[in-house]
Amino acid sequence: MSTPESSVPVSFRVADKLHVDAPWEVFGEHARRYELHFNGRVLEVIRGPLIVEGFGVRIFRGHGDRTGIGFQGSTDSSEAGIAQAVTDATQIAAHSDFPAKRVDLPTSSASAAVEAVDVKLWESPLPRLREYMDAVLAPFDSIKDAVPSFGSVRATLTETSISNSAGLHVTYPHSSIAFELAVKAFGGPEGVPPGEYWVNQLTRRIDPATAGDPVPAWCSYAQDARRAAPPPTGDLPVVLPPHVLAGILPAVLGARWTGGARLREMAPASGSVVAAPNLNVYDDGRFPWGPNTGPVDDEGVTTRRRSLIRGGAADEILYDVLHGGAFDVPATGNGLRGISFGNRDWLRFTHAPGVGASTLVVEPGTGGTDAELAEIAGDGIWLQQLGWASPDPISGAFGGEIRIGYRIRNGKIAEPVRGGTIGGTVVGPPGTPSLLSCIAAIGSAGRLVDDLSSPTLLVKPLTVAGDAGGRPTSAG
Amino acid sequence: MTDLRDFEADIDRILTRLERAAPFAEIVAQRVSGQGMRLDRRSTSPSTQARLHGAALRAWAGSHWIEAASSDLTLPGLEIAADGIERALESTSVRGDPPGPSSVTDAEASTNPPHPVSELGLEGMIALGKDVRGWATQVPDVRDAIVRVAWEDEERLYLNTAGARTYQRITRVNASVVPLAFEGGRVEFDFLGEGAIGGMECLDFLKEPAVKEVAECSRALLSAKAPPTGAMTVVLDPGVAGTFAHESFGHGTEADQFVRDRSYLKPLLGQVVGPESLTIVDNGAYPGGWGTIYFDDEGNPGQRTVLINQGRFVGALHDRETAQVLHARPTGNTRRSDFLSRPFVRMTNTYVEPGDWKLEELVKEAQNGVLLERATSGIEDPLGGQMQLKVKRGHRIEHGEVTDLVTSMALSGKVLDFLKGIRGVSTASDFRIEPGYCGKGHSDVVPAGTGGAYLLSNAIVGPA
Repeated sequence: MSTPESSVPVSFRVADKLHVDAPWEVFGEHARRYELHFNGRVLEVIRGPLIVEGFGVRIFRGHGDRTGIGFQGSTDSSEAGIAQAVTDATQIAAHSDFPAKRVDLPTSSASAAVEAVDVKLWESPLPRLREYMDAVLAPFDSIKDAVPSFGSVRATLTETSISNSAGLHVTYPHSSIAFELAVKAFGGPEGVPPGEYWVNQLTRRIDPATAGDPVPAWCSYAQDARRAAPPPTGDLPVVLPPHVLAGILPAVLGARWTGGARLREMAPASGSVVAAPNLNVYDDGRFPWGPNTGPVDDEGVTTRRRSLIRGGAADEILYDVLHGGAFDVPATGNGLRGISFGNRDWLRFTHAPGVGASTLVVEPGTGGTDAELAEIAGDGIWLQQLGWASPDPISGAFGGEIRIGYRIRNGKIAEPVRGGTIGGTVVGPPGTPSLLSCIAAIGSAGRLVDDLSSPTLLVKPLTVAGDAGGRPTSAG
Repeated sequence: MTDLRDFEADIDRILTRLERAAPFAEIVAQRVSGQGMRLDRRSTSPSTQARLHGAALRAWAGSHWIEAASSDLTLPGLEIAADGIERALESTSVRGDPPGPSSVTDAEASTNPPHPVSELGLEGMIALGKDVRGWATQVPDVRDAIVRVAWEDEERLYLNTAGARTYQRITRVNASVVPLAFEGGRVEFDFLGEGAIGGMECLDFLKEPAVKEVAECSRALLSAKAPPTGAMTVVLDPGVAGTFAHESFGHGTEADQFVRDRSYLKPLLGQVVGPESLTIVDNGAYPGGWGTIYFDDEGNPGQRTVLINQGRFVGALHDRETAQVLHARPTGNTRRSDFLSRPFVRMTNTYVEPGDWKLEELVKEAQNGVLLERATSGIEDPLGGQMQLKVKRGHRIEHGEVTDLVTSMALSGKVLDFLKGIRGVSTASDFRIEPGYCGKGHSDVVPAGTGGAYLLSNAIVGPA
């Protein structure tokens, strides 16, 4: 792989120029981004290189059994820029107050490799992106009545480096790719408006050889959206595939199973029953090709696997350095930057770390294939795409509009549904119904989608709001 | 450097270089700074906005745009980005002007509040936050409250080879309180938040009675029932009405969707789509609006654009390219999320103009249904014509009266059906613009204001 423009990682260069009389940490990024944007099949914009180099400096000031933390991010790594960042961080630390009794910064990190770099993309970004988009668009040549209405692919190639006052100097490369495509379906019968299926993916690698494989299915969903009607209203069995769960589970479990939630009395007590007895969930910072996978977390702590739910009961929770310091436990390698902004692939140096899940893994179960899960559901809904689940980590509520789904009748996928809402609570107090506690079957094969690896789940029931009567009715 | 304009000479030098290689080029430089603080019972976390600066370079290659960007505003840093543009241009043989009119605006504008929030300092922000948390936690069961206060200064300098030069400095302020009520392992919250362009006056809403009222609602949500489920009559509060405007006729009238043939609204331009009581506007020049911009990222001034005028769909939001294709003028709506992001047609402040109903009259007209309050999110469906709106709380409407509090819910509906169902909008005394952030798809987030007054229609509602 080629090295970035400056051979010395940015955090190492900044660390050399730091003059701080307290524990400190520098997180640096040198990133190149390349993008292709299409209007239909016509290339609209080529972008890149978009070059960003920046660093975030964090300073820790202990006072009694508490700690003041100052952070500043900057793109100015000149001597004056570094001095300004230190001044800012020092001022912030003086006003900050956090109940960490101590701050144990990592002193070294494991060198075991993780799968986080698309080497071909790293070496030849724009040609590789072009090859990928050509492969995505090629199947449309032979598909009737469906076209791409727009699409983009954005690759970010980053050299992350971390240094701290405990002697840590670590650097590693990683790639990430954000892909978006809107597929429009049209054609007969006369007067029926077009339908759309909108795909968004975040991955660490691309493979032009298989890029076009899902296109026929996307076109089918777009076509089905044209003839879909709202579902019935009621509490129904709902089948949730991994790409739907990826918009629901990480936002809630990744917030509630943490030292941050424990500090605010919102984390589950270890051993409390929170889910169906056959559910096992763990967090894995080294999961192959996970968007958050790295040899270390964003504080330089070696990543690892942690069990979160074992046999339906809450197990361990996740800590960064500060929350570990608040509870006298070691950090678990879950200090992540930018998690609350949803853009973990870009400009992480502008954010101080928080604690969160890296890749959540739901262990496959014995429910079988998707078709077998539909058979178990009997009469229900297959949810193919939700508008936006926007889960609330505090109350655990989630839900949104059905963009495309299917009725399940007599254990078989039947007519498409669209419109209306599906919602509920991801996890509630012990003994209350929730998505996790109402899991009736767990599929037998997991799939990585964004920062979740999960099989398809059957939940019995979730609340579905539809329009069976076809006209407004009164509430109550 | 104390001002983005201090880098202007080098930026101009790079633009001159690009002018030799391309028929048209432009550079948008950006710099941000600011402070904020978040506190709760266990911690106080002040912060400074990352000192981020850089420039986006864009050149017309005859059939498409080529862009590069750098976070290094020195001449060597900008030259690396310019090298990238020139390399890409070498592989294109087509020449000619880019579509649409190039801005020739030469102007500057800054917020300059008489009492900027920066005068508070971190100490002042933390003291205010502690007062607010104290008021909230006086309410039984409200054990904690998360309080946030922040301000941000954003500078943008735009130069193009047609002679345009715009400079703006926008000061945005936002604050919120989230009282947390606990009972038997359950946690609930309501929230109160505002955001605007300006100074200290933007924090005036953080008063003891208002904070205690929202804390009481957090507590009440612990025992609130789930919302009714199904198709029903709905009344949207002003923030939710604004989110409706944003998700329906905001995203749907971003004219790049017209050019992509991805808007169900395109064939309806000029037609009556709603009642006479409905007027929807996007207004980048709204005084103090959270989404207000003095200039867009093609160098055009922010402006008021009427989208629906008394029920008739009359206008769309344009950048230079969509204006060319659709025989319109740019509307000052071209926005980049930051110097690293590409420009798109985007909203600014999108709102439903007030009508002549009183809230009580709307509720009486509804008879039975639900009042949706405290917008939390929404999502558009530009081709399919659906929309999703989510709220944190609401109230049942029974026999023409507002009754029980209900928990969070989602609204789903076909926009055109929703428009036809609108029976009234409340008066200007209810009107407000709320702060939010809007993505183009799942990225490219920009500040966007949404607003309106109470609005009555029909939709599908369910818990969420």
